[in-house]
Amino acid sequence: MFGKGLLKGLSITIKRLYGPNLTEYYPEVKPILPSRTRSSMVLEPEKCISCGLCVNACPNQVIILTSEKDDKNKKVLQTYHMNMGRCLLCGLCTEACPTKALKLCQVYENAVYHREELLWDMMARSKQANISSGKVE
Amino acid sequence: MMIEGTQEYSLNMGPQHPSTHGVFRMVVHLDGEVVTKVEPKIGYLHRGLEKMAESRTYTQFIPYTDRLDYLAGPHNSLGYVQAVEKLMDTEVPERAEYLRIIFAELGRIASHLVMIASGSLDISGWTPWSYCFRDRERILDLFEMTAGNRMTPNYFRIGGVSQDVPEEFMPALKSFLEDMPEMIEEYYGIFFGNEIAQSRMKSVGILPKELAENLLITGANLRASGVQYDVRKAEPYGIYDRFDFEIPVLYGCDTYDRHFIRLLEIQESKKIIEQAYKDIPAGPVMTKVPKVLKPPVGKVYHRVENPKGEMGWYIVSNGSTKPARVRIRTGAFVNVQMLPEIVKGWKIQDLVTIFASMDLVLGEVDK
Ligand code: SF4
Ligand code: SF4
Repeated sequence: MFGKGLLKGLSITIKRLYGPNLTEYYPEVKPILPSRTRSSMVLEPEKCISCGLCVNACPNQVIILTSEKDDKNKKVLQTYHMNMGRCLLCGLCTEACPTKALKLCQVYENAVYHREELLWDMMARSKQANISSGKVE
Repeated sequence: MMIEGTQEYSLNMGPQHPSTHGVFRMVVHLDGEVVTKVEPKIGYLHRGLEKMAESRTYTQFIPYTDRLDYLAGPHNSLGYVQAVEKLMDTEVPERAEYLRIIFAELGRIASHLVMIASGSLDISGWTPWSYCFRDRERILDLFEMTAGNRMTPNYFRIGGVSQDVPEEFMPALKSFLEDMPEMIEEYYGIFFGNEIAQSRMKSVGILPKELAENLLITGANLRASGVQYDVRKAEPYGIYDRFDFEIPVLYGCDTYDRHFIRLLEIQESKKIIEQAYKDIPAGPVMTKVPKVLKPPVGKVYHRVENPKGEMGWYIVSNGSTKPARVRIRTGAFVNVQMLPEIVKGWKIQDLVTIFASMDLVLGEVDK
């Protein structure tokens, strides 16, 4: 009978109409992403040994860091910048970091108005509570 | 035939058109509403991936492979890492092999769901679209919890996978597999069994078997034209030879069959994942590979069956840390050439449906 398929489809949608709601009320309700999600980066400057492995691992030359030697001939991190406009959030840098100073985090509201703001000063950012905790507040 | 006093009309469709699935552009020559000729214009998404590969190390290029067919990231990476492994003669741990299969087939399901969804959307079927995307979301969640990203997971590494799956992965995968029969029933009920959809798609845009073979069409488009060919069976790679699955084939050669075969393939992928889920051993997920990869001088060609067709990776190594040349053969790029052949004589509304049935992803066409 012509129209049988239409009625079948209609019965499926009616059944679903009374099912649970699947959509989220973003931005009123903010989803919590899994702990492995790569949506942002956070640096713990105290842990960083300025080895430069993250710089070498990056396919896109996102990371720019400078360091100085102290009196014990140990490298001390001076500045650490990431040019997020080029970053793929691929996670190769965090994989390469031997001390886990550079970590992924789940802050995902990263949009900015100006291109210059994409150059993240990671040492300054590490002091902002909401970013270093890795949670969207 | 033109009526006297009228003239051919050429219409520019795309690159920003909702039903060109990305940034595809075509110049459509029309006689009234009837398509007389179509000229595909490609290149709007060209990022020079082959050249990029030459300026990055072997590992650094893996994230970019996800961006070829961005609807099924894992399978592209699979082709690339296996090609490099072939070049270096690297063994992959058993558990990693199984995880790769699970991810690659989940990617295939996700990609086919998008295809069915957008095919239905192109004939104004909103509901099937949202149903398919609802279920695809569960696959993307599985990718996210394991690899960290939804569409570009960057999960495979040369010599294994980046990390083992988290605890919650296997239960979530199991419940997804259990829900699949009901989902498939729903897709059938709301889309494939729908008479309006059928009358829009059946016998429309015929791609005869000979033409498909002559144009080197691969993937599901070829199998919907009556050729039972799939690289997974013809030249098994990885551990595909261990699984028991069929290669679905349909003989209708039309738009409906090109959609329907995707549904059949989803069922076969489900079978593969179920077997992998059952047999997956415990153990390491990465072999020992040097930190700096330097494959020996030589070249390799490796092909895989990605959801859009046959994908080939040709890599030339000169012994340094970066490949000397990378050439990517993608299914979607070759499949574009069937469009001008099969739309001739159909109306402009059918052009949209026929185009959707080819399942092109511009990331793969333009590279
Ligand atoms: S996530 Fe990838 S692209 Fe971004 S800085 Fe790290 S290595 Fe570079
Ligand atoms: S790899 Fe880690 S420790 Fe080394 S410079 Fe980068 S952030 Fe610092």
